[in-house]
Amino acid sequence: MLKIEGLKKGYDGNEILKGISLDVNKGDVISIIGPSGSGKTTLLRNITTLEQADGGHIQFAGVDNDFQKLNSKDIQTIRRNVGFVFQNYNLFNNKTALQNITEGLIVARKVKKREAEKIALEALERVGLSDRRNHYPSQLSGGQQQRVGIARAVALNPQVIFFDEPTSALDPELVGEVLKVMRNLADEGTTMVVVTHQMNFARNVSNKVIFMADGYIVEQGSPEDIFEHPSEKRTQEFLTDILANV
Amino acid sequence: MSLNTDFMVKVAQTAIQGVPVTLQIVLVALLISLPVGCLFALIRIYRVKGLEQIVKLYVSFVRGTPIIAQILIVYSAFPSLLNMIIGKAAFSINPIYYAYIVFTLNSIATLTEVFRSALQTVDKGQMEAGLMVGMQPRQTFWRIILPQALISALPNITNATLYLIKNSSLAFIMSVKDITAIAKTEAAFNYNFLEAYLVVWIYYLIICYSAEVIFYLLERYFSKFRRSTKKTNLFNWRPLSIKQPEVRAEADLTESERTNHAQNRGLKKRL
Repeated sequence: MLKIEGLKKGYDGNEILKGISLDVNKGDVISIIGPSGSGKTTLLRNITTLEQADGGHIQFAGVDNDFQKLNSKDIQTIRRNVGFVFQNYNLFNNKTALQNITEGLIVARKVKKREAEKIALEALERVGLSDRRNHYPSQLSGGQQQRVGIARAVALNPQVIFFDEPTSALDPELVGEVLKVMRNLADEGTTMVVVTHQMNFARNVSNKVIFMADGYIVEQGSPEDIFEHPSEKRTQEFLTDILANV
Repeated sequence: MSLNTDFMVKVAQTAIQGVPVTLQIVLVALLISLPVGCLFALIRIYRVKGLEQIVKLYVSFVRGTPIIAQILIVYSAFPSLLNMIIGKAAFSINPIYYAYIVFTLNSIATLTEVFRSALQTVDKGQMEAGLMVGMQPRQTFWRIILPQALISALPNITNATLYLIKNSSLAFIMSVKDITAIAKTEAAFNYNFLEAYLVVWIYYLIICYSAEVIFYLLERYFSKFRRSTKKTNLFNWRPLSIKQPEVRAEADLTESERTNHAQNRGLKKRL
């Protein structure tokens, strides 16, 4: 469904992504793990065209083109078929929880206002926040904001939702509520690509785990493969480090 | 020394004819300079080639010269310029138009900087979020970025407006019959300068205070999304306390959510 080949990105001659290839099939829940600075976030931002990649090819939603040759129509197509959940939520501060969700539906998808509100309410219901629909982001806790962020992505019914460290900005005790929502989505068959430091989520919810380091995909496979018997030394070290701190 | 109160009442009655003139200058200058200032700010933020330098130069010219010099230059340059184009009629133009020009040019420069700083306070994540729900950059700008920027600009717009009101008193140099000019003329008849100036003082005070109230109401109305659920009033307002006010218990929040809520609010306040 989504196929990336040889994605490259650098800043000022400093190469962050050194040729990443990625295959996402319908219903996949892919966790991307790895040390900080390994390019996980940059990868998501480049796939979703928030940043322009220096090289590589994308095949997605009818777009079949090199990243550098994407025209504005391709970019629009890609953006309309992905959902994105940000690390620091990025809810529209001047809109209520409900309006945050209807905004994209009404403005970008040309859905009628009443219809959009119905969809938005359903989405809020799914993340357990329908009673907060008229609250502004400043009146919601971090966990609630992130759940609205997820509802906003879900409501657009995209082919795949990207999660960029969705729980990293949250207090430890709020992580659970967000992960629960994500787990429900996964159970319902939503296609998800999740950059995460939550090893439990990677291990128990995803069907594929990718370990990245220094701009490369070092190893990928089923959660069992990666967590039980990683074949690369780099992966073993990372897992030993991170599990020692749990 | 005693104040000639009868004279003060008389000046007050005559000078009130100047109030609409002052307000006109202020309103015309504001209505033109608000959109233009916003546009200039965008030119600077997006570094539009060529135009960026011009705007920068313009802003430094206006900010780097006293308004009195700007008034004198416009007032002496424009009539002669127009004279070349439309002939003698140029000298019979109502001087208020020159006042419009000077104060508009002046406010544009101030507001350009006001909008520039306000637009930059809006997190760039807001634009990214807009793009990721499928909106065009332009749509995101109008619907998400600009409304937020305008609200953070409001306190500074208020400030600029108050300066504009007070600066407009210099229009008397161009023989515009505003409050100051009328009072000065009255005073000159009887040498009751102090009385006349006190009247001027009071008029400007009233106008500025009204402007302040209007902007305050605007700010309160538009920033509803920034307010926390708890209202501050005279009794729970503790301007000098270092501790953040406690959060009202909200029954439908769990303990942990409540803690986080409080922290979020505290952070917002400190920011």
